[in-house]
Amino acid sequence: MDTLLSAQERDFAQQMRQFYRTEIPEELRFKVATGQELSKEDMVTSQRILNRQGFAVPHWPREWGGQDWTPVQRHIWLEEMQLACVPQPLAFNTSMVGPVIATFGSEELKERFLPATANLDIWWSQGFSEPNAGSDLASLKTSAVRKGDAYIVNGQKTWTTLGQYGDWIFTLVRTDPSVKKQAGISFLLIDMRSPGVTVRPIQLIDGGFEVNEVFFEDVEVPARNLVGEENKGWTYAKFLLGNERTGIARIGMSKVNLARAKAYAAVTKTARGTLLDDPLFSARLTKLEAELTALEMTQLRILSTQSAGADKPDPRSSVLKLKGSQLQEDISELLVDVLGPQGLDFVSDRVQGSGFSDLPLGAVDALPAYFNMRKVTIYGGSSEVQRGIISKALLGL
Amino acid sequence: MDLELSDIQQELGSTLAKYLRSEYDQSAREAILGSEEGISRRQWNSFAEMGLIGLAVPEGYGGAGMTFAEVAVVMEAFGRALVLEPYLATTVLGAQAIVAAGSEEQKRAILPEVCEGRVFLAFAGFEPGQRYSLDTPRTTASVAANGSVTLRGEKSGVLGGDVADHFIVTAIEDGELGLFLVDAGAEGLRRSPHRQADGLGSAAVLFEDAAAQRLDSASAAEVVAEVLDTANAAIMAEAVGAMETSLQMTADYLKTREQFGAPIGANQALQHRAADMYASLEDARSMALFARLAVTAEAEGADKDRHRDVIAAKIIVDRSARHISQESIQMHGGIGMTMEYPIGHYAKRLTVISRTFDDSDSLTAELAQLGGLVEPYAADLS
Repeated sequence: MDTLLSAQERDFAQQMRQFYRTEIPEELRFKVATGQELSKEDMVTSQRILNRQGFAVPHWPREWGGQDWTPVQRHIWLEEMQLACVPQPLAFNTSMVGPVIATFGSEELKERFLPATANLDIWWSQGFSEPNAGSDLASLKTSAVRKGDAYIVNGQKTWTTLGQYGDWIFTLVRTDPSVKKQAGISFLLIDMRSPGVTVRPIQLIDGGFEVNEVFFEDVEVPARNLVGEENKGWTYAKFLLGNERTGIARIGMSKVNLARAKAYAAVTKTARGTLLDDPLFSARLTKLEAELTALEMTQLRILSTQSAGADKPDPRSSVLKLKGSQLQEDISELLVDVLGPQGLDFVSDRVQGSGFSDLPLGAVDALPAYFNMRKVTIYGGSSEVQRGIISKALLGL
Repeated sequence: MDLELSDIQQELGSTLAKYLRSEYDQSAREAILGSEEGISRRQWNSFAEMGLIGLAVPEGYGGAGMTFAEVAVVMEAFGRALVLEPYLATTVLGAQAIVAAGSEEQKRAILPEVCEGRVFLAFAGFEPGQRYSLDTPRTTASVAANGSVTLRGEKSGVLGGDVADHFIVTAIEDGELGLFLVDAGAEGLRRSPHRQADGLGSAAVLFEDAAAQRLDSASAAEVVAEVLDTANAAIMAEAVGAMETSLQMTADYLKTREQFGAPIGANQALQHRAADMYASLEDARSMALFARLAVTAEAEGADKDRHRDVIAAKIIVDRSARHISQESIQMHGGIGMTMEYPIGHYAKRLTVISRTFDDSDSLTAELAQLGGLVEPYAADLS
């Protein structure tokens, strides 16, 4: 698709490519490329290198470390990052709470939080979902009652990704239970070391502990930690979720994973040659390649519309999420199927000790990743929510 | 990054859409479909007056000297209206083949008449029992002692062959693929006209020592490959137009058809399926654009990627066409199966398009053989 870029854009892409591949430690990029889990330190290291160069939060306002980049430049920044297998900046910091504070927060909140958020000196967790508020987020119940200069918070959040590393958590809390559900919500920042905050890990079917429950029991939160106005939290949340959707198609990542499945298939023997020569496998792979190309073109078409100055809500963004998440899942399944019977164990190492053969490439991560990827059609507005958005735009019913 | 239509293309699209809305509506189309020839020569004249037929023909031969990008705009508009006249056969396949392979004299003799709408062309490549193969026709060309060329063989599925005035024919001469021009009135040429399921005309054509001229200003194999890639990109644009209208009609139907006291579109089962149709349409739009860019690319070595990109695009467009055409009938219910209601006509055109120059399975196999679109790479293998 490079041919669709202008000469300046191509130079920009080259510059990004060069930076990512020389400045981010090879060891970190290798972990991403081979599906290994990143430690907290890995992610902090990567984000700080990016931030030094102004590449952690380019979409933020300039005074807080952003860049005046065009939509195409931002696309290139992210695409090249994914293609280079660079650990991405922590989305909770850079795509979620950062832009909300920068847009709706007081000067004091901005100064206090934005530089540390960009540099991952503070690790943010997300406190939105609750056991009974998933896709219907506005029905959340965690309450914050004003008492003097503080809010007293009680309730429970869940699906808090990487909450075990969290220093702070940005929450949606109910500050007015007497009005329509959307109208009584506020956006509150809570120090996770406050007395009364408990984090309980949840084990997922991939074997890992990626998400957590967070409990709040009479937690006292200074009122100055409120973002914007009381009871306006739903507006800020919608703004945040709108940001979450951009880049959610993860096309660069899918290209890397598809290339990986293809390379493994090419060295995987079958009775009739390699797996890549198998007609049914190769048909499935080839169709995924075509699907991914279609998705990339859709993303470029949206960018082109944005570059031409349009700023309307675009149902094609929901197509990106719907199709992009499905493709991520399909590709993760393809990798499992490359491995065959030796991919069915949960193992921590390919090397099996003296005398035993090594397990095939991908044996450690393919199946856990397959189970982990079930999440992508659920989070960030499930596929059903996206279909609802599209059909509303289409049918207006 | 600019993927928007140019001002000229937008103007062309909206002028044509306006014309088709008033002059090529459902009843006008029905009348054409029911006529003996199955096309309207009056419409064809109007298309010629609008400059559509010679759009991509160089100005020196009576055309407008534009590119395939403009032809794609026309095809998309024709797809929305389900135009029956042989634009694909004459302009995309026929005229392009003559522009690419004809001698100066041949171009001067034929192209101006084509642009003026006075003659139809048809490309005769496929043969009975050969499916989509074009490389090794059984039709042969022989040269007499006096240098005159004659063709022997049978062609099938010749789009626009029912009304064509000139045929561009593939045949083997001395073991090599060649392209030949044959007059429809030539002695030894017989045709058996057919009507495709979508109402477009085609023909089987027999050549029994029919007199022909060589079109040999360029390599026949290369010309055929380029013309077919372009024609594929053209029917992708047409399919996008047809799918867009199909989805629009289906959405309108979901909003207005009432059962159990409410519009059927109030059912989430149908809303979500309509949303999936929209997602399919966007995929198809993206890939029709991808194909158009491949066909119009001028960068060095672009022709190498052209075929690969076009077939990748067609895989997706075929998949979307199948999805949208089948779902639009299902969501209309019984009325979608009738000839009097237009939705089924769109489904028929889309069904034929998906099988016109190739089919989904053969495209997938070919793309895999070409190595696909993604380079195999794994960090732990390098």
